[in-house]
Amino acid sequence: MVGRINFTASINGQQVGPLDLPEDLMMVELLQEYLNLTGTRLSCGQGVCSACAIIVDDPDGGSRTVPACITGVAWLNGKTVRTIEGIAGRDDQGNPVLSPVQQAFLEHFSFQCSYCTPGFVNAATVLVERLERAPIPVEDVEDAILKALDPHICRCTGYVRYYQAVRDVILSTPGLTIGTVAAAERPA
Amino acid sequence: MIRLLRILGLLVLIAVVAVGVLFWIGRDRGATPPASVDLANLGADQRQQMLERGRWVARAADCAACHTDPDGGSDLAGGLPMVTPMGTLYGTNITPSTEHGIGDYSADDLYRAVAQGVAPNGRNLYPAMPYPSYHRITRADSDALWLWLMQQRPVDKPNRPDDLMFPFNIRPGIAVWNALFRPEAEPFDPQGLENPQGEYLVDVLGHCGECHTPRNVAYALTDDHLAGEVIEGAYAPDLRPDALARRGWSGEDLVAFLHRGLSPQGVMTFRMFPVLSHSTSHLSEDDLSAIADYLADGTQLPGPQQRPPGGATAVDGHTLYLGLCAGCHGDNGQGQPHSSVPLDTNTTAMYRDPLNLIRIIAEGIPERDLAQGERMQAMPAFGGMLSDQQMAELVNYLRERWGGRPGDVTTGAVTSVLEGNESH
Repeated sequence: MVGRINFTASINGQQVGPLDLPEDLMMVELLQEYLNLTGTRLSCGQGVCSACAIIVDDPDGGSRTVPACITGVAWLNGKTVRTIEGIAGRDDQGNPVLSPVQQAFLEHFSFQCSYCTPGFVNAATVLVERLERAPIPVEDVEDAILKALDPHICRCTGYVRYYQAVRDVILSTPGLTIGTVAAAERPA
Repeated sequence: MIRLLRILGLLVLIAVVAVGVLFWIGRDRGATPPASVDLANLGADQRQQMLERGRWVARAADCAACHTDPDGGSDLAGGLPMVTPMGTLYGTNITPSTEHGIGDYSADDLYRAVAQGVAPNGRNLYPAMPYPSYHRITRADSDALWLWLMQQRPVDKPNRPDDLMFPFNIRPGIAVWNALFRPEAEPFDPQGLENPQGEYLVDVLGHCGECHTPRNVAYALTDDHLAGEVIEGAYAPDLRPDALARRGWSGEDLVAFLHRGLSPQGVMTFRMFPVLSHSTSHLSEDDLSAIADYLADGTQLPGPQQRPPGGATAVDGHTLYLGLCAGCHGDNGQGQPHSSVPLDTNTTAMYRDPLNLIRIIAEGIPERDLAQGERMQAMPAFGGMLSDQQMAELVNYLRERWGGRPGDVTTGAVTSVLEGNESH
């Protein structure tokens, strides 16, 4: 007999719950089966491929990704969560406006099948937000991108276009880096 | 005042004389047995047999555990750091490079280095070289090892200087340590032993006690053979028969653990993972059974058993387990084959010392290609997601639910481990 849990959370800015849930429910199942947020992709189910990465916001500022397939609602109860559905903004008419990371992925043709893309978007978003709080020297950007995206597996395009897109966003957004990029390296 | 100075002077004089005597005793490395064969006139078959035996000795003695090149390329070119309370030592180059390795060693030289801890020029080796265990290597095995080592590819990689604090950086001082703690080199004699192969593999070549036997303040092995010790920041568990029985080992599981790196009791972790890949995974089933039998020492090892809870598990620990662990390890700790270990039979939560449990949860474990096709997926590091209090709650939950231990790990103890201040 599995116990029950009284679950509440902020998901994409919306208050969710209280919901009476099985205490061993994994977050990806809550998102897909209970809340119809199907953008978070279940792939390996073992926390290895990061396709299901979602963002958890720290109340003290800061954010991190966790794999929704192996992170239980028991851990996320009471927390503030963002999924791929919550990344784009809205214009005055309520139309979606892609985030700089999402826009860069499109412009760089970063993905084909897109199955891994929500995870890459969330990881890159967390990275950009971290650099907003704590800029890093330009020469460290590639290492930072590698570290942030390394846990994410893509089986279509390889990784170069994802990496280039994130590099583009970071180097062209004021305030994320310290120092200057050599002219030859500056993205077009 | 003058009287006090006289007494002090006398004490200093006595100390100097005592150290001098110990130094003189320690300089004497004892007799070197003659070579087992005429190495200059080996027949082809004999040479082939010795090379095969030498390769077996190198694996059973796990030379690569310390002498491997962490940058890759050679298992024998050295450079691996070994952190001790006295500072950091680096494994040396034991390829047959004449400039940087042991290419100039004779078979006698190798025996003296391995069994007595003395290099050809009389230079003492630090006892990180496990000559207190290897001292019983047979001369035939030492000769076979020499032949095999001299057949390996020389790598001209310079040795990295050790980084030891004073006074441990005074190498001749090891003679004093040797006088007090080095057992006399005495080739292994199987006569009258119940399980000579097991004893030879565990106590001599395998040098298991170098990590699993407690050390005294002088960092020498004590008489509490295989009773468990914290070394290089991890607990090398108690391997005595009653301890193995208490943790639910069976002879079959010990063999599987050494052969594949995995059994219901756990997976090769910390410094045991390279031991698997360089050494035990290459040993025959007969060898591994001999090891298991020797460790059991006639005790019937029961295998995994349901253990009574060590205490009433707290809600907070249960919630943390479901939220962070159960996705891979299962609600009831059943695990997933070939990806996540079962926790209901895992021994890590059964140790009195929570060091390994805390470190594994905090640091995670890289994915592992174990042996014989067995593998384990990576375990994430949760150190950044848990406060020290939450870590204590989770550790206590695991100890009580499956470890048969009380949930008595304090937040302060967790903090101490995570800050690297563990006082062992």
